[in-house]
Amino acid sequence: MLIDLTSSARRLALVGLAKNTGKTETLATLLRELQAAGRTVGVTSVGRDGEERDVIDARIAKPRVSLVAGSLVASTDELLRASGVPHELLEQTDVRTPLGRVLVARLRGPGTIEVAGPSAASQVRAVSETMLGHGAEQVLIDGAIDRRAASSPEVSDGLVMATGAVLSEDISELVWRTRDAVELARLPALEIDTPAARGALALARAHGEQRGAALIGEDGEALELAPRFVLSADAAEIAHALDAHPRAQLLLIDGALPERFMQELLTLLRRLRRPLTVVVGDATRVFLSAHGISWYAGQGLELRALRPTSLLALTVNPLAPQSHRFDSAELRALLEDAIEGVAILDVCSADYREAQRALSS
Amino acid sequence: MHREQPDLTAVKPYADHRGDGLVQLSFTLPVPYSLAARRAALELLARMGFEAPEVVHYEELTEGYTYFVMYGRCVQAIDFTTLQGEGFDIEYMSEDEIERFVTEHLGRRIVVVGASTGSDTHSVGIDAMLNLKGYHGHHGLEGYRCFETYNLGSQVPNSVLLARAIEVGADAILVSQTVTQQNLHVQNLTELVEMVEAEGKRGQMILACGGPRVSNELAKELGYDAGFSKGTEPQHLATFLARELAARVAATG
Repeated sequence: MLIDLTSSARRLALVGLAKNTGKTETLATLLRELQAAGRTVGVTSVGRDGEERDVIDARIAKPRVSLVAGSLVASTDELLRASGVPHELLEQTDVRTPLGRVLVARLRGPGTIEVAGPSAASQVRAVSETMLGHGAEQVLIDGAIDRRAASSPEVSDGLVMATGAVLSEDISELVWRTRDAVELARLPALEIDTPAARGALALARAHGEQRGAALIGEDGEALELAPRFVLSADAAEIAHALDAHPRAQLLLIDGALPERFMQELLTLLRRLRRPLTVVVGDATRVFLSAHGISWYAGQGLELRALRPTSLLALTVNPLAPQSHRFDSAELRALLEDAIEGVAILDVCSADYREAQRALSS
Repeated sequence: MHREQPDLTAVKPYADHRGDGLVQLSFTLPVPYSLAARRAALELLARMGFEAPEVVHYEELTEGYTYFVMYGRCVQAIDFTTLQGEGFDIEYMSEDEIERFVTEHLGRRIVVVGASTGSDTHSVGIDAMLNLKGYHGHHGLEGYRCFETYNLGSQVPNSVLLARAIEVGADAILVSQTVTQQNLHVQNLTELVEMVEAEGKRGQMILACGGPRVSNELAKELGYDAGFSKGTEPQHLATFLARELAARVAATG
């Protein structure tokens, strides 16, 4: 059951690999389980949840979000009022979204509500803390489309990932895309057991909010790279930096790591026959689509995180709205072959629903 | 002249008198011009939920196709009071008012970087908003004294756009993207938001997106501060940027 798999995360992020992979269905399922267990839950969304129709394709009906009395919610003033559900205002935030200002409220009665909380990660963390402070035992942070920022360990304690048939009409492509995303979410932590690793950690702390990048040698000696280097450097500039620190073992990147940079770096390292480990803050800073991290590792370019994320479950939506459908059991079996060590669930499947009923009776 | 106040809790279309619900529709059916075609059109309106459907005009569009103009009475009503004040439903300022507002509230220029990102080759939207030539007789942000603009053009990778925005100390990033039902386009828009987060700059930059299908609802899902769609003129965007930045500066002191 999702409730058991996710109980360790006081702040739980739900992250989809694309639109219509079943994030909200997963949220609704988990809410039912938590409510049956009598737990007080807080809910927020980095996008918008519980709307009737898909924002891009109005033919797609979306699941509604039902909450029981006593639940906490972060949503906009307009959406809370429109829901007609009686509620007590706990805090008025200064977060402005395109749909209005965000409030934190406690419901006085049950009802279905459109949830639209803050979008920015720092504000998501703030409203989560607010809800925990007002008595929520667990906060559920729903994602939007394929956004991952709320799954950063700086915001949440664990995540549930949602994948679905919408990723590809080709089931094997769906499986490898999901495997790549899971691998990234489980990006291994940098082991702090060498002078270079200790140097990387100390430097990242020193950088703080000033994101930077640096090459770090065996003895911990660091060469700081120019501002915005990782976002914009071309092959010649990367080659120049590598030449300047010929014995670098680690490349620390505090900010975003785009795939363009990974590819340029890999080409150079192959030519130079040099191994290098890239260290990022956490998995949400890495932007890969062509290849997964194990492919890069196979080519000699290892990736590590200073702060690992905790992937607690993978949910599967075998249906691509207005398009195609896979057999749920077959899809889950293929995913289980490709991905080890994480529970894979289809919360809408007959077997999951049956297990849920057995537990509640 | 005395005017009766409409009931804003039950707003519906009207033609002759308030509350009559009269709607005019026009459409084409892929059937030959005939009485059967007329019956089909009437039944279609009934199924749409219209009362008293009426064919006002119909004609053969081309062989096998019939064009209709219809009337019907809409029975649905909307509670307008629950929708008022939603989101950035703001009064737009004129160019002079914006210049004065920025001088007064910010005392410096607002730095805006714009581009059509990813594989999108359309730069029409971004040009209309930023370039001097502008749109609909209103010149773009480049023509304002209170804006410093950088138009990076089309097919700009997100990482390059972000690097430039950080370099010039941008207050706002404006991206234009044609959103389709395919995932690719929205994923390019979300990637920019996630990269800005990864660079730790989300609190310092206003993110706005524009395109033919971009609504405030979609902008919220994508993680942007505002979405601008068809009909947006440069001073609408300028008003939003000026007010939002002033509010942020006031909040942080």
